[in-house]
Amino acid sequence: MPTLSRMKNFFRNIFAKRRNDGELDDEVHSYVDLLAEEKMRAGMNPEQARRAARIELGGVEQVKEQVREARAGAWLDTVIQDIRYGLRILRKSPGFTTVAVLILALGIGANTAIFSMINGLMLHTLPVRDPGRLVELLHHYPGEPEPGFNGFSWDAYQITRDNNRVFSDLIVGSMNFFTVRADKLQPQAVFGGNVGGTFFQALGLRAAAGRLIGPEDVHMGYHAPVAVVSWSFWKSRFDLDPGIVGKKIIVDDAPVTIIGVAQRGFYGLSEQAQQDIWLPISLGPSPSWGFALLGRLKPGVSIEQARAEMAVLFQRVVDAPDAGPFVRGMQLRIEPAGDGLSTPLRETLHTPLIVLMAMVALLLLLACANLAGLLLARAASRQHEMAVRVCLGARRGRLIRQTLTESWLLSMTGSALGISLAYFGTRGLIRIFASGREIAGLPVHFESLSNPDWRVLLFTGAIALAAAMLFGAVPATSAFRPIPAQALQQAARIGESKSQRLFGKSLVVSQVALSVVLLTSALLFVGYLSHLRSLNPGFRRDHLLLVTLDTAHSGYNAAQFARQSEQLVARLEAIPGVKSAALSTMSPMQGPGASAFAFAEGHSDYQHNVSINDVAPHYFETYDTPLLAGRYFSADDQGKPLVAIMNQVAARDCFGNENPIGKHLTLSHITLTKGEITYEVVGVVGDAKYNDIQQPAPPTVYGDFVQEEFVGSQLAVRTSIAPDAVAGVVRETESAVLKTVPIVRIMTMNEQIDASIVPERLAATLSAWFGALGALLAAIGLYGLLAYTVTQRTHEIGVRMALGATRRDVMRMVLRDALWTVSAGFALGTPLAFWAKSAIASLIRDLPAKSPVSVVFGGAVMIALCLVAAYIPAHRAMRLDPMIALRHE
Amino acid sequence: MTPDQTNLLQGTLDMMILKSLALDQMHGLGISRRIEQLTKGTFQVKPGSLFPSLHRMEEEGWLVSSWGESENNRRAKFYRLTKAGRRQLDSETQRWGRISLAIARALEAS
Repeated sequence: MPTLSRMKNFFRNIFAKRRNDGELDDEVHSYVDLLAEEKMRAGMNPEQARRAARIELGGVEQVKEQVREARAGAWLDTVIQDIRYGLRILRKSPGFTTVAVLILALGIGANTAIFSMINGLMLHTLPVRDPGRLVELLHHYPGEPEPGFNGFSWDAYQITRDNNRVFSDLIVGSMNFFTVRADKLQPQAVFGGNVGGTFFQALGLRAAAGRLIGPEDVHMGYHAPVAVVSWSFWKSRFDLDPGIVGKKIIVDDAPVTIIGVAQRGFYGLSEQAQQDIWLPISLGPSPSWGFALLGRLKPGVSIEQARAEMAVLFQRVVDAPDAGPFVRGMQLRIEPAGDGLSTPLRETLHTPLIVLMAMVALLLLLACANLAGLLLARAASRQHEMAVRVCLGARRGRLIRQTLTESWLLSMTGSALGISLAYFGTRGLIRIFASGREIAGLPVHFESLSNPDWRVLLFTGAIALAAAMLFGAVPATSAFRPIPAQALQQAARIGESKSQRLFGKSLVVSQVALSVVLLTSALLFVGYLSHLRSLNPGFRRDHLLLVTLDTAHSGYNAAQFARQSEQLVARLEAIPGVKSAALSTMSPMQGPGASAFAFAEGHSDYQHNVSINDVAPHYFETYDTPLLAGRYFSADDQGKPLVAIMNQVAARDCFGNENPIGKHLTLSHITLTKGEITYEVVGVVGDAKYNDIQQPAPPTVYGDFVQEEFVGSQLAVRTSIAPDAVAGVVRETESAVLKTVPIVRIMTMNEQIDASIVPERLAATLSAWFGALGALLAAIGLYGLLAYTVTQRTHEIGVRMALGATRRDVMRMVLRDALWTVSAGFALGTPLAFWAKSAIASLIRDLPAKSPVSVVFGGAVMIALCLVAAYIPAHRAMRLDPMIALRHE
Repeated sequence: MTPDQTNLLQGTLDMMILKSLALDQMHGLGISRRIEQLTKGTFQVKPGSLFPSLHRMEEEGWLVSSWGESENNRRAKFYRLTKAGRRQLDSETQRWGRISLAIARALEAS
């Protein structure tokens, strides 16, 4: 038969069902009429004839049903019938349906939210040609933590480009913030990059408008400055105006012409940091070791071959006569980069997300066990209905399909709600992210986090189906059981079989076990977070207000700025509630800052990697960092040889046990191209943490920023009252004194520390939610089981009471039952919880996983919660009137 | 294996219905009676198998139906062969001839 007419029939049968049925009805009835007429002609009276005709037909409805089954699309018909019936059943018990859908929505929503974060942060490949052949180059020092740093000198780029035989392209770019303005566009910081001439072409990217940067643009440089912007930049700033090509904008105070828009969906080489503007590499800053390199492997060349050849080639970079001292010992690594450049963001979030994913999977499992328990009780109360349907001729297969359809309906409704919950959940997660500092200077690519794509929807659909299978299996198998004749008697109380009761209990036991695991993990994370928050960072973290200034366009030179800032500090210190104030180039816990190689007097054959911070006098007093030896900076240092203060680790690293005071220290700057400078050490202060609160304080050398002619942009204000209370006055004072220096942000030190531990806060917040949710579900599960058992045993309880059992006995009986169940769950959950703890501890460093406190506490919470849940049905059993209970049928 | 071979009875009924409609259009009861007559009472077609067959063949495009008046002026649904139906009848008849011959030979062989 032609497919077209088959399809036509299919759709007619589905959509014109009523008309079809009416016509079929007419046809069958006319058949009966004709048959009756035939019989009347044979001599029957009309009544007999009609009766005989009907008997011969064998039932109008049965014939119609047989025709319907023969029609195209009959299977869909029964599916629709099942769905309708299922919906009706679910509507008939709105309480059960609401609870079930909510439980599922929470379970599925949590999974969807975490998965969409994993999807957004880790599963994307770059939208470029053949991303599988891309590799990134990383330099590292032997013995340094993996994976290294993708930053190279221009010389290294040229040597690699001209001499390698393994890459068909070597792509070069750097990442920078630009200040962009145009008419109708306020000055704003835009993250972007400078790229080499073959960048776009080698990645195989198309232009959404205009053209992309090519070798000729790099060659022209400042003679014809150009820029390419991202599609989302075009949309958000220019509203997709086609006139963008040829538009003049101002980038870092220089006019630039936009020549095109990059392919939609391309946000640079890192999937986590969104780049919106690209300029030729010949424009803008030229960092000495800031060029990221990406290679495209030649066809047939494996990554091992590339590693072997490049290791030899890179030795030439290291051995180059003009290579700086810090290049000594540097080695090259090559890693696949199809999913973008490795960024610290991915590294720091990877493990917590994996752990959280495991937690939500457990949560969903728990929700399924919970629902299975609910459905088990329901299946028992629906035995009568099932028996009637079997007697009316329903096949077992059909009944199973019906119950599975109901589970599937629940699961679909739950996941629809879950997806919207996940959407709001992800918003909340993004808020936690946004409260974090830029990780290694990279803004997080929020767009990929918040939009659920096909992968997320597929994932949700799959887990919804799996969940329906899991919890739907229980009522479906109950349809398999032979149905006892007594099930047909409406009034008969149908007892549960022993195995059924055991199964119901084991469901609750597994819920308790799972929630012990969840609670333990949650307590681990929460405990760790509070441990981090109580760590001593080497300065007083409370009562400290931090003000970040934008000094880039102040118009002051260093000397003017020093004078102005002195005045500012004086006026700030006059504010009631302010104890002292100081400026510096870095504030602690702000993120990684400048670093340098230090060579100590008398030990100049050793180089030490140290952090650099240039600070104003009063800095250490303001932060409450103790002076251990020597003196602080003073106003008398101005105009004299450069002086420096070291922290304890740096002093020990550089000078061993010698007294460093009065000795000299030479710094070779990497990031600040200042060359080598020698300082006299005048003081040693206590260690303070700068980047990572979990790591020991880095060796740090402090310079006097007035002496070094730096402009400090970090203002710290030590208060004696709550720091937020003076924020307004501080803001007013600052804008009165430094009129041309806007404030970027004001936050307390505690907030700044919180911003540095986003993954830990994320893990603690989410796991606490999941743990609480799991415990609540388990408690509800136990309550449901006990309430159901008490109802089932009402008669039995009546008999016991009539025979002399006291109310206390009855209550004890129910509570004992509950306690056994919970204890079994705890016994099962404890080893699992210990195992989960050590698994998490192996993934996340210095978690306090040894102590059993979290397991004990998790178990105690669970038992307490369950006893509360058990008390309600136990109380009800106790209050039963034996006379009424005995009559209960 | 085609469905026709597995479900010989179904195929046979279809063929008989097509055959009964070869000369003229007919309503359901008429088809039943005609088949009884053609097979000398060997086949008695019950409505429970007749109607599903008719509707399926209509969907296949071998039959078309229309409402009309019976010989006694009663409303009835009449079925009539289409070109495709006639082709189907021919091929069914040939196939049936081959099968019955083959079976007859098989049964004759000792």
